Amino acid sequence: MKFKDYYETLGVARGATEADIKSAYRKLARKYHPDVNKEKDAEERFKEVGEAYAVLKDTEKRAAYDQMGSNWKSGQDFTPPPNWNEGFEFSDGGFGGGGYEGDQSEFFESLFGRGKHRQGGRGGHSRQDQSMHFKGQDHHAKILIDLVDAYNGAKRTIALHMPTLDISGHVTTQERKLDVSIPKGIKAGQNLRLSGQGGPGMGEGGAGDLYLEIDFHPNPIYRVDGKDVYLDLPLAPWEVALGTTVKVPTPAGTTLELTIPANTIAGRKMRLKGKGIPSKEPGDLYVVTIIATPPADTDTQKEAYQAFEKAFEFNPRTHLKG
Amino acid sequence: MTQTNITWIEGAIVENEIHMSIVELSQAASTSEELIMAWVTEGVLSPTGSSPQDWRFGGDSLSRTKTAVRLSRDLEINTPGLALALQLLDQISDLRAQLVRIGNSSKG
Repeated sequence: MKFKDYYETLGVARGATEADIKSAYRKLARKYHPDVNKEKDAEERFKEVGEAYAVLKDTEKRAAYDQMGSNWKSGQDFTPPPNWNEGFEFSDGGFGGGGYEGDQSEFFESLFGRGKHRQGGRGGHSRQDQSMHFKGQDHHAKILIDLVDAYNGAKRTIALHMPTLDISGHVTTQERKLDVSIPKGIKAGQNLRLSGQGGPGMGEGGAGDLYLEIDFHPNPIYRVDGKDVYLDLPLAPWEVALGTTVKVPTPAGTTLELTIPANTIAGRKMRLKGKGIPSKEPGDLYVVTIIATPPADTDTQKEAYQAFEKAFEFNPRTHLKG
Repeated sequence: MTQTNITWIEGAIVENEIHMSIVELSQAASTSEELIMAWVTEGVLSPTGSSPQDWRFGGDSLSRTKTAVRLSRDLEINTPGLALALQLLDQISDLRAQLVRIGNSSKG
């Protein structure tokens, strides 16, 4: 296990006041909040910052953490000294900080134990009234699919990791496999509702629902904007000048013949109507022309470019008046 | 290889097919009906229907409400602040979509 320097995480000095710690936390929480920051490591950073704040904002936890001394460095191998927290009394058993619940690091848990985990994962609130019937909690998960699955529909077996409370009150992660049919036409950011696949109900309330938020694996060829799909199509200078017919792959896995008219310019957007993500009103596939110029390496190639130059009186910089 | 019959679970695309009542939305986004009402008043959510009992939230409301729940909880922002944050996030997402349309030339 690695030591975590919570002061370093928040970027404050060990002697920082509560107000300093709070404002440093707030600033970083806004910066790394996963709804605001789309960088890959944002969620991870947001959790780290939340964990650091949970310790440092709490006088008791901070005092206990401080008495381990200031010689530890972040990332150093760490085992809590025996009885390290002897004489400290924690008024709450668990994790009280900002951030998503149930995501404390091993380091945090070794010091402060596992928090009281709220039912149903992050953001869940559980109702405790025993005499009532309640529908089970709705659960949420994110899954990544391929663009082609949105075109053709797909059947996927997905593994979900669910934190659950065991009889002794400890949080364990259970893996659950679901065989899900991905409907044709689903788009990134949309949610698929699987009725009755959420948490169990109470009394005569039925089970909750499971919502799967869909996102696409990054695709090296296509860009997706809602139901429209974009493809950059590189063409040689003679192809755009003289016109040609090229084969264009579609995300559905088919191939289309596309006619490039003579004197096509770079950046021209050709719309293939209805070839975007299918739905009642299907999206479009846009093919954007790019001109790829081959390097002149051999003498023959250099001569070809020179002949090219001679044949045109072409100044691409007339508008610069240079 | 043994052949097993798998029952594939069919789901409904929330954004296309589902309209939620305030009760369903509060259950699905794990938040209170009171907060949802406050967000409707602020214009964060725009259901159809004239009174909370008749409100029907379009499918897009679910992810918007989930974002609202997370932002207001994690950053302790009040309702007007939340409305502004969501409006700015919408603008950013429009700009990102523009970048997608422009493609390589934007990456330099």
